Amino acid sequence: MCIHMAVHRQILESLGNGTACRNLFGPVDREQLQVEYKDALQKDIEDASRRWGFDFVLEKPLEGGDFQWEGVSGACMPALYHACAVGDMSWQREVESTAVTTCGAEPRLGQSAGGKENVPRSPERHISSLEKTPEKTHMPKRKQTNITDFYQAKRRIVATPRKSGQ
Amino acid sequence: MPKLSLEPLFCHFVIFLFHCLKTHFISERTVTTMELYCLEADTIVRARPDPNLLCDDRVLQSLLTIEERFLPQCSYFKCVQKDIQPFMRRMVATWMLEVCEEQKCEEEVFPLAMNYLDRFLAVVPTRKCNLQLLGAVCMFLASKLKETRPLTAEKLCIYTDNSIRPHELLEWELVVLGKLKWNLAAVTPNDFIEHIVKKLPLPEDKLDLIRKHVQTFIALCATDFNFAMYPPSMIATGSVGAAICGLQLNSTDHSLWGDSLMELLAKITNTEVDVLKACQEQIERVLVSSLQEGRRLQHKQQQQDQGGPHSKTLDGQDQSSTPTDVRDVNL
Repeated sequence: MCIHMAVHRQILESLGNGTACRNLFGPVDREQLQVEYKDALQKDIEDASRRWGFDFVLEKPLEGGDFQWEGVSGACMPALYHACAVGDMSWQREVESTAVTTCGAEPRLGQSAGGKENVPRSPERHISSLEKTPEKTHMPKRKQTNITDFYQAKRRIVATPRKSGQ
Repeated sequence: MPKLSLEPLFCHFVIFLFHCLKTHFISERTVTTMELYCLEADTIVRARPDPNLLCDDRVLQSLLTIEERFLPQCSYFKCVQKDIQPFMRRMVATWMLEVCEEQKCEEEVFPLAMNYLDRFLAVVPTRKCNLQLLGAVCMFLASKLKETRPLTAEKLCIYTDNSIRPHELLEWELVVLGKLKWNLAAVTPNDFIEHIVKKLPLPEDKLDLIRKHVQTFIALCATDFNFAMYPPSMIATGSVGAAICGLQLNSTDHSLWGDSLMELLAKITNTEVDVLKACQEQIERVLVSSLQEGRRLQHKQQQQDQGGPHSKTLDGQDQSSTPTDVRDVNL
């Protein structure tokens, strides 16, 4: 609460003269807003289910959809596709328990190898480094990724003219 | 098995990728620079204008090709909305513009947020008491897409005089994203400014001033519902025309300008001259009426100030329904 108030004050101080700070159309009906929010999400899920022929609540394919669904081991998927909150490593356990088929299963007959080509893959080292993250107790938070993890910082000598600049 | 058409998805992915690359590019550059200058924490990190993008005509042609995809689907006051009226859109737009200006947001944040707002309102009937929440959500999203240091949920809630709460803002962010089909990288009029200005024989020393006027005109158009269905390229072209005429840069050399300015502008963005002329005149009319409104309110404010300190509490309601910048523009 104290922190909240402090943040509040800090923000308020930076808000100029404060004329922009105003309520335009009177009080918001919170209960109604919550109802509308839930309805809207529900509708989104229904639309998506129809569109993809998949029940996203029960995690099951629907009958008569346009797509043929096939289970894939969670462990094969890049970390990007796992549900996880910042600092939460619980997805690792979920992944292990919900894996449907084994990793590296051969594509089914009739399915071209290109069928999976639109699934982006991270380089192997990322997957392994994330999935082999050791004991949770020692690392409550995932390390902040730096841009230098992916690119090497390059030095440029100041006097060198830019190639592509004006 | 029916073939899945990936084309639209793919386009969005490419646009998304482009933004990622842009961000990475900026970050990488920062890393390089930091070793040399050690930037202060408050410095806003901006990529320099990239000549590879701005001097390539294919970029302009692509923008012209895809811009229609991001227009609202219908004139929603007639066919979708029951509770909200055009003047309410103007109120929320004016408030959004003030917040963006006070928070020194990047120029394109406000027009982009208005694009989200219009696209959402074109599909979802909305009650007036939720309109400000929607406006805040749209600024929240546009700021995240365009800024290195985006507006926070807490800040936006304070700007609504705490009539909404951060968790509501976050919940509705998801709803709005769903309705926009996650297509956030919309084309805005601002995307065209450099492409147009570059092709005109304008005095180098006036370019910054022209850009500033054009941006003000674009913001002004975004506050007015009459422009909501216009293609962004037309608004940009009309705004450039209005800025050049407003600054009277076209009177110095008659052989270059006059009617040929219109023709040149029309050619750049493949617009018809008549349509463009009408658009520019409309922009100038909106400016005039907004200047008048500004003066009227200023006058009212002065009267109130003379009337005594008690009247001060009332002034928040629809004070300054015109951006402050616009009042400084001399026609």
